[in-house]
Amino acid sequence: MSKFGNLFIAGITTGAIYAMFAVCVSVWYRVSNILNLAVGDFAMVGALGVDNLYRVKGLPLPVAIVCTLLVVAAFAYVYDQVVLRIAQDGPHRMDGIVVTFFFTFALSFFIDGVAKMLFGTDVHAAPALWNGASLSLGSLHFERAGLLVLACAVIIGGAFWVYIRFTLGGKALEASGENAVGARIVGIDTRRYRRLIFIGTAVIAAVFGIVESPITGFTYLSGATISLTGFLAAAYGGFRKPGRALLAGLFIGVLEAMLGGYVSAEYGDTVLYAILAAMVLAWPRQLGFESAVSG
Amino acid sequence: MNGLLASSRRSGRLSLSAQAAARAPRGLTPTAVVAVVGIAFVLIWGQQYTGSVFVLAACYAIVTAGMAVQIGFSQQIAFSQSVFMGVGAYGVAMLNTHYNLPVLLATPIVLVGAGLAALLLGSVVTRASGLALAVATLMLPLIAVGYVSGTGFLGGAVGAPLPGTLWPSSSASTTVALVGGGLIVIAALALVVFIASRILTSDIGLELFVLGVDERTAAALGVRTPRRKLELFVLGCVFAALGGAVYAGTQQFVPETLVDPTAELALLIMLFIGGRRSVIGAVVGALVIQYLQGASNWVSVNILVVEGLLLTVVLLTDPEGLAGIVTTGITRLRQRLGGSAPADGEAAAAAVTPAAGEEADASAATASTVAMAAIPVTRPRDGRITGEPGEAPLLEVRSVYKEYGGLSVLADVNLALPERGLFALCGPNGAGKSTLLNVIGGSVAPTSGQVLLNGADITRRPPQERFYQGVSRTFQAVHLIKGRTVLDNVAVACLDSHTASIVTRISRSRLDQAREKAAAALADLGMADLADREVSSLTLEAQRMVELARALAPSPRLMLLDEPASGLSEEQRQRLAGQLTALAERTCVLLVEHDLALVAQVSERIFVLSAGRLVFDGGPSDFRSSPVVNTLLVGS
Repeated sequence: MSKFGNLFIAGITTGAIYAMFAVCVSVWYRVSNILNLAVGDFAMVGALGVDNLYRVKGLPLPVAIVCTLLVVAAFAYVYDQVVLRIAQDGPHRMDGIVVTFFFTFALSFFIDGVAKMLFGTDVHAAPALWNGASLSLGSLHFERAGLLVLACAVIIGGAFWVYIRFTLGGKALEASGENAVGARIVGIDTRRYRRLIFIGTAVIAAVFGIVESPITGFTYLSGATISLTGFLAAAYGGFRKPGRALLAGLFIGVLEAMLGGYVSAEYGDTVLYAILAAMVLAWPRQLGFESAVSG
Repeated sequence: MNGLLASSRRSGRLSLSAQAAARAPRGLTPTAVVAVVGIAFVLIWGQQYTGSVFVLAACYAIVTAGMAVQIGFSQQIAFSQSVFMGVGAYGVAMLNTHYNLPVLLATPIVLVGAGLAALLLGSVVTRASGLALAVATLMLPLIAVGYVSGTGFLGGAVGAPLPGTLWPSSSASTTVALVGGGLIVIAALALVVFIASRILTSDIGLELFVLGVDERTAAALGVRTPRRKLELFVLGCVFAALGGAVYAGTQQFVPETLVDPTAELALLIMLFIGGRRSVIGAVVGALVIQYLQGASNWVSVNILVVEGLLLTVVLLTDPEGLAGIVTTGITRLRQRLGGSAPADGEAAAAAVTPAAGEEADASAATASTVAMAAIPVTRPRDGRITGEPGEAPLLEVRSVYKEYGGLSVLADVNLALPERGLFALCGPNGAGKSTLLNVIGGSVAPTSGQVLLNGADITRRPPQERFYQGVSRTFQAVHLIKGRTVLDNVAVACLDSHTASIVTRISRSRLDQAREKAAAALADLGMADLADREVSSLTLEAQRMVELARALAPSPRLMLLDEPASGLSEEQRQRLAGQLTALAERTCVLLVEHDLALVAQVSERIFVLSAGRLVFDGGPSDFRSSPVVNTLLVGS
């Protein structure tokens, strides 16, 4: 029972991370119709950036964190202003898979490459924000960093929910995603929302990278893996439903931990992906993939 | 009048055959370019770095050429290539290492195995479409890398070396093995480019293009979408396996990283930088990336930055990649030199003088209305001549119900239509008109009830089969295929390739025949002069007329037209009315329309749907005086 409980705690912790990335992917997809495959790379930059500024450059930790987040936000702003503007708002507006997948895909490569230049190829992590041995409750063990991750997930996820559900901005956001032209006609600046959410999700991703990195450690290539899992979880919410993306993220995290613990440490991930693929094929409509099954 | 028509048809055919004569045999040019350049590189620099990079790039190019067909052209995004490249490479390595089979002999065995595996896997995954297909196949590299790294037999994370080379003779010197192996790779690449180019320029290539633009439209136009998707998947996998096999044979080592998701992403980068829809572009993309990696030490260390920047810049310049940039560049250069391509010139001229164009349209349209009466009635496909009154109806809808969740959209709808005539379906928004049309067309299955065509129950038949039986349709929103000419848009409906397999199209294509038939249908509607225009450059009226031509070209028995007049001006509607009346002389037309005046003018019988129920069924005079109709549709 304690094995199950500890696996469940570990699963929920990684699941919370997947869930938050999935939420970031689906919220931005709603307003921009672009899948952000670079979201994990922002997390990696957050973790390695703080580590670099604090450990190598010797800045105080709060300063290092603030500087890193500012750099991430500024970069996201510039990217939106330069690349996304030409791609989406230019005279030859592009759409389809090229914009949906490949611009952020290129962005992910670019960020990873820059991170390799700046931070090298070793495994690093931001310093733990809450030091001490893991907390125990009976036979259950809680990592402090894990608790921080869960706390961040609850706070940020809750804030998102309140924003989308109850504020005018949230409604405008929804309108932008449903019908960009229609939203513009009624006076919603869809580009502003696209930019706002892009910067917002980039910063949130960086925060999660900082909080989570003491658990796993990051290299310049870690971003892609995180993006991928976030992308998968978001996919199970049809990319447009942050609530379902959140649940899917938690589910994948717990399933991963259980398979690793009970089935096979070596082939656990293989089984996990096989299960996930089977689910897509079995219930594409129910899982929110808009395109129906043919044949 | 007949003479005039005949001459315009003949000129249409003439220009087509002239085009055909001006073209080189399909697929020969790109193949020749690849073969000549490749052989030159291998012979001149085969033993040096330049040549070895070229050969490595050619291995990848074999894979990306397949991706251009599957992912770029047909837009079936499946992330299965790196895995099948691994199947090819590991397969050859294992057969060579453990069974002493020469690489060249192992390759065909591995390809057959990969083809069978792809068939099995594809019959499961290609049931999914769009994002579901992408996400489901994204798991493949994740599963594969987990499997390979944990499996000692395959060399695990270390990789699998193999003793054999692609060049069959084991006693050959290193030089011969290197150059000979390189030449075999180039031959394989040329073959793949040839096959891919031939498929893309064939009648099935047109099918695939439509499939890529919109699966539903493709199905409504008779394309057997499940079959084509499976064929594409197998084709992509076999090409990838071939690429992997020659990779193993020339590199003599299979690294685990060949199958991981990063490898898949690298292949996608090559494809999109080169140009996703162009086979040559895909080859160039592979070359560019491979040479970049070796260009300088800095670039090879920072390849991620370079690839990311390059992909961004290329896509911002042209979503069709380097191939698109070069094509646009050549067109512009030609224009600047004054010798603009004739098709472009015409399009430009037509765009500058819309008034003249419209006048021509108008006169052509009136001419065609008259002309159509004079054309001998096209017989339905099975050659059956029209039915007398009292015979079994052509179309029968029997107590059809359709519910979405608990919401009832159609309730107990019954109607029967004869072999010829024009019938209209009216009703307020949300009454279920389009749903009924979809039920008849086959894209929506009714909850209960039956649809019969000529007495045969077709309720469970897919849209494709209804199309073969003579049901054709237009859509409420214009569903033309952007990026293709008017002629090709109509030719899609005239293809007879639906039952053929992709492989047969390597040797022959009946695209020209389909185009001829399409040209005839366009001439019937007086639109022969629009044939070479790209569809998105047309006015809405012209686009709707192209849809009409497309629906009419296969000589259907039943035409389903969904709001053909929406967005048209009064004058354009009158022209349309004339054409519809002429059509109804030879086929059965069911029209969904909001324009009550038009409906009353052209239809012999009108059905009114309200909240999913048929509330009126009668002739135009009853329609005008019916209180039900007045309350529902006129609002008085």
